[in-house]
Amino acid sequence: MRGLSSLERVILECIGLQSLTYEEVQTQAGLQENVCFNILQALIIRGILKTDNNRYKVSENISPLMMDEINGHEARKAESLEMMEAVLEHKFEKVFRFQKVAMDSRDEKIFIAMLSNLESFLKDAHKKAEAQVPLKNRKVIFWGMGELQTLMTQVMSGR
Amino acid sequence: MSLQNKTIHRYRLFFPKDTLREASSRTGIQITRVFRLFNGKPMKVEELEAFEKAINDKIAENPNFSRLNYVLEEASSLLTNDELGKLADYMERRVTNKKYARTYIRPLFQDVSIA
Repeated sequence: MRGLSSLERVILECIGLQSLTYEEVQTQAGLQENVCFNILQALIIRGILKTDNNRYKVSENISPLMMDEINGHEARKAESLEMMEAVLEHKFEKVFRFQKVAMDSRDEKIFIAMLSNLESFLKDAHKKAEAQVPLKNRKVIFWGMGELQTLMTQVMSGR
Repeated sequence: MSLQNKTIHRYRLFFPKDTLREASSRTGIQITRVFRLFNGKPMKVEELEAFEKAINDKIAENPNFSRLNYVLEEASSLLTNDELGKLADYMERRVTNKKYARTYIRPLFQDVSIA
């Protein structure tokens, strides 16, 4: 598989620049024990993680090729899609809106300004609670906008 | 990989937790013979058919599998290489995530030789 799956990314983000024990990774990630263990092993085999005194840390010797594979545009896109799909399939407390909205250029500008406000609100909120909220309890939020005709052309061409 | 190895490999994918006894009762092949076959003894045609039948019976439990096969064939003739790559990536991701939920990891990284 190219890139990382969203589960692998969660483990990597948990560890970040730290060096964590298995229990710490599992508590942060909130994954089942065997899933967490399997992912850690997989990341070690791929050379992305290493162990040091029963602690997991991100390897310093990740090749640029691997780095590109992990953080490449296509891989990130596939990861986002995985999470968006999970949100769509989420059965309880689902928050999801998808609409085709008619907007004149003035309202479009207002909307973009509102998105920018929203973004800075989220940035502040994240900064405030980052230390207290473990990764598993964070919220996945996404938004986007496109013109229907352009999107349809893209759907048709398969790109 | 020989046809025999492919069949046993596929059998193992469909029935990863089967014991020799279960494989024997599923295929109708004697347990000692199943042991030998898993260890690389050459198969007779009817034994290969017995394994294939067990796999096909399992596949028949998921009617969407034949749909998937049909769509894949159509896709391979209609879609571009890039589009096929995207589909393959998508499926690979789903398979990888599913494999993580299993108790052991080895098949993710290497072709497991049954012998």
